[in-house]
Amino acid sequence: MSALDKLWQALDERLELEPIVEFIRHKVVPTHRHSWAYYFGGLTLFFFFVQVSTGILLLLYYRPTAEAAFESVQFIVTQVPFGWLVRSIHSWSANLMILSAFAHMFSVYFMGSYAKPRELTWWSGFALLGLAMGFGFSGYLLPWNTLSFFATQVGTDMVSKVPFAGAWLLKFLRGGSEVTGATLTRFFGFHVAVLPMLTSLLLGFHLALIQRQGMHVPASLEQESKRRKPIRFVPNFMMREGVVWLLGLAALAALAAFFPWDLGTKADPFGSAPAGIKPEWYFLFVFETLKLLPAHIFGIEGELIGLGAFAAGGLVWFLVPILDRGRPGGGRGRTFFVLGWLVLAYIVGFTFASFAGVFK
Amino acid sequence: MRCSTAVATLAIGLATAARAAAPAAHAAPAAPAGATADTCLSCHATLTDERLRKPAELAKSDIHLTQGITCAGCHGGDPAAADRAAAMDPRKGFVGVPAPRAIPELCGSCHSNAAYMLRYAPNIPTDQLSQYRTSKHGLALAKGSTDVAVCSSCHGAHGVRPPSDARSPVYPTRIVATCARCHADVALMNKYGIKGNEVAEYEKSVHYAALTQKNDLSAPTCKSCHGAHGATPPGVSSVANVCGTCHVIQLERFDQSPHKDAFAAIDQPACEACHSNHAIVHPQDSWIGVADKQVCAACHSAGDAGATAAGALSGALANAVAAEATVGARVARVKRAGMLMDAAEVKLQDAQQAYIMATVEIHTVTPARVEKQTAAAIADTVAADRDAAAAEREIRFRRTGLFISLAVIALAMVTLIFKIRSMER
Repeated sequence: MSALDKLWQALDERLELEPIVEFIRHKVVPTHRHSWAYYFGGLTLFFFFVQVSTGILLLLYYRPTAEAAFESVQFIVTQVPFGWLVRSIHSWSANLMILSAFAHMFSVYFMGSYAKPRELTWWSGFALLGLAMGFGFSGYLLPWNTLSFFATQVGTDMVSKVPFAGAWLLKFLRGGSEVTGATLTRFFGFHVAVLPMLTSLLLGFHLALIQRQGMHVPASLEQESKRRKPIRFVPNFMMREGVVWLLGLAALAALAAFFPWDLGTKADPFGSAPAGIKPEWYFLFVFETLKLLPAHIFGIEGELIGLGAFAAGGLVWFLVPILDRGRPGGGRGRTFFVLGWLVLAYIVGFTFASFAGVFK
Repeated sequence: MRCSTAVATLAIGLATAARAAAPAAHAAPAAPAGATADTCLSCHATLTDERLRKPAELAKSDIHLTQGITCAGCHGGDPAAADRAAAMDPRKGFVGVPAPRAIPELCGSCHSNAAYMLRYAPNIPTDQLSQYRTSKHGLALAKGSTDVAVCSSCHGAHGVRPPSDARSPVYPTRIVATCARCHADVALMNKYGIKGNEVAEYEKSVHYAALTQKNDLSAPTCKSCHGAHGATPPGVSSVANVCGTCHVIQLERFDQSPHKDAFAAIDQPACEACHSNHAIVHPQDSWIGVADKQVCAACHSAGDAGATAAGALSGALANAVAAEATVGARVARVKRAGMLMDAAEVKLQDAQQAYIMATVEIHTVTPARVEKQTAAAIADTVAADRDAAAAEREIRFRRTGLFISLAVIALAMVTLIFKIRSMER
């Protein structure tokens, strides 16, 4: 018996690992013409790992104060060996992670994978997307440049519209009435402590649910899935996922080398806001919609109505496993299928229109 | 005749032309005792003749009226009298429309009285009248000219606003148009030996551009060089002092140059000789030289010491400009490729600063002093160029690294794909 076998035996005796190995050995992933959609979740996970590792490297030099934040990022990208690469990959990976998470969410939605018994997976995934956007919002401010400073001012200002708790929430987020060094410090705290902790817990829960329940096969693809031989999770699916991860890595490397993330100019709290100020692309559809609304609708502030509508829309999206009762003959309801396409068209349409300058 | 017409238009038209040509010495009006009914305003506001009604309307925004100095302060009469004849009774000091010749003395009766002005505007000077008497306007008025500017020509007769009010005709952005009312009138100006194109020329200048395009209220207008109340053209000997009020270093350098005595000897005005007077445009390096249309050619010709110096000055500036253009383009190119070039840009700014100093040293017409600054500018561009070269090497290194990484990633992907295929065969 080799030393490795002895070690395994010792661990198995103490931790009863054999059932887990058996589970993995027999775990399979169904195949059908849409099984490519199963890779988006893993790809999002890959970008999350990249974020964690590059984020730790950035932490070695980053200083979260209004006086030193911009200079420390400048130091990272100019003086630290490969600092430019780490910072650029961190920024690009953040955006690709959100993109991949959106792709994952819509693929899950259109395949109706949110239905019973996978409601908890949908809800935890929904919360994870919210946390990812929270990462993006809090991380955007950290370089303390002009654009991020004023975008944070606009973004946090929206919170003040929340009825009753708005003023308190604004003060809580900003650490005062204005965006200052106190805001930067607490955004840093959210970004590197609070959000990672919550994400790790939820991510563990989300992955455990997927392992426990297996991949969902839509009713319309069940026959095809039965005809085709499923693939083993280990090693076949993991190796395929590995190819996708390598593709993601290649995209990150190319983007970081050819389009290094711009640092901009240091924020001047007493300066005037630059023209054409915009949030990150994944908030653009909300931002542009709110801008289009009139100042008052039926005597109520337009922005408040807009935010209320987004909150209601988000709630419907969240509750879709309960609201969609499915078709009598099986499969998901047509109403929610059409709704999904409308939401996707709205988000994509508004985002591209914003980049194209349609709303100027 | 425009000034007198303007005065007549703006002046109150209360009475007929029967009035004293010059009123007796006017005493400063007493400080207002309190709010009383002003029949001048109430009556004139209801008149249908616009010429008579307008003054009452304009008076509402007048700085004097807001301080409690009523129509009677200038026109005399009794503003408390309800009866028209009693209100405009010459026995009560009513003078009607003051004659243009009388206006400076009339305004000066208060504005030259330091004790009186202290009560209203302690921070404004009280020497306007004495300055006016020395001005070209005041001198011509004293000689009997009636078409020269008096106080009301520039400040208005009714609705007078403080010069700091943007609606005042003497506010920096409006004063050029105010002067132009007379000084753009070629026929009127020719009468006084003035061309009448001065305002049109000024409107081509960098000063006018700064005033109107950058809204720079400190940019020189007519009064900055000619004076306001003591308006007069600066003489040959004082032009440099006028320009030197703002262009201090240029004047200092000029005073160190051999041009100072040479210009004085031939009665040549200092700055104006090269820069013109009203149409002062942005100076160009190409002006330096003795070729046709180059400024040095006015006194120097090819082969003389001045021409040699001009060649050296021009060459030094051209070298600095060429170096800055080449390196600036390289830095911009590298920046577009995504590199942070803050340090190089600071060096280019230093180079630009040294170049500006070189253009200032031009006023010494001493090549060694100009070359010292252009050498500093070139040294800064060389340093920026080194940064750009290093950034270009870094770009090459990154791209090489990227291609190697992509090759490794591609190899790993191909290996995995083959392995998957062989497993699933």
